[in-house]
Amino acid sequence: MTGAARSGAPAQRRPLPEGAGLPARGGAGPDGAGPGGFGPRHRRTLGAGRVWIGRLARGGGELLITAGVVVALFLGYQLWATNLLAGRTQDRLHHQLEQTWSRPAPAPPGSGAPRMAVPPLPAVPLGDGVAILRVPRLGRDYAPVVVEGVSAADLRRGPGHIPGTAMPGQIGNFVVSGHRTTYGKPFNRLDELKVGDALVVEVRDRYYTYRVTGSEVVTPNRLDVTYPVPKRPGVAPTKSLLTLTTCHPKYSASHRLVVYGGLVGVTEKSAGLPPALAAG
Amino acid sequence: MYAWLYRHLPGPHRLRPLVAAALLLIVVSLLTFLVFPAVEAALPNGKVTMGS
Repeated sequence: MTGAARSGAPAQRRPLPEGAGLPARGGAGPDGAGPGGFGPRHRRTLGAGRVWIGRLARGGGELLITAGVVVALFLGYQLWATNLLAGRTQDRLHHQLEQTWSRPAPAPPGSGAPRMAVPPLPAVPLGDGVAILRVPRLGRDYAPVVVEGVSAADLRRGPGHIPGTAMPGQIGNFVVSGHRTTYGKPFNRLDELKVGDALVVEVRDRYYTYRVTGSEVVTPNRLDVTYPVPKRPGVAPTKSLLTLTTCHPKYSASHRLVVYGGLVGVTEKSAGLPPALAAG
Repeated sequence: MYAWLYRHLPGPHRLRPLVAAALLLIVVSLLTFLVFPAVEAALPNGKVTMGS
């Protein structure tokens, strides 16, 4: 059908080129092997070829449009859906923590003496809530649940405590990594923290108040920032420290933003809110 | 491509939009729950810990 319509067009144009402009048509050789002998058939195959080119172009175009739509979907997933998912997960984690904390604490191994020297193996199963992080600088509503573990699955749930590093309040370094741009982007505004800002870590029965002591941007291979005493390998810790890490710059993996803090106060929950939260 | 697909959808003529919508939903779900999480692992913005 389209072939017939196409062949109609040159037929109407025939008077215009005066023969010389159309060698395929005008050069009809008597030998039959010349262009003239192939003329009609050649035109037909050209028409079919054009149809195929048209189909290919359309198919290719549709594929390209599809690719564009898929990329747009992916962006929507990353920048919107992951936040939605993480928000729900965080709500659930808050609820779980409340329930866990309302039950009596499991008896610590050994006596009731504070365990300080060696952090025990994850007292909390991977992916479960460890503590609630509150940062007055980032707003009253900022209260992500820190989960145990830093696997991709753990970090989808919330900022993750690196297993094996100190637990909140313990002597050593409580290291937490969190997403900057997706999954609730808990550490999105970590760059706004200033020296002296309060970082309050809420656990079962108390609040640990840390103060920001500094921050820096380092390359990803700097594992030493997570040491019990950051950047001092082999040195035994004497203080309770905190280190937060996230990617830097935003959307990039080239560097890490690291915020350091030190413990300045412990407030039992029975004594009310710590000053840093009460003032804010 | 899509015209061809649509012509070859099963079912009576009137139900084809429904079948097409169902197919679209399946494709989008597969992308969201299987493909995107897998692709995400290769993206730079999820790398937030040290030593990687």
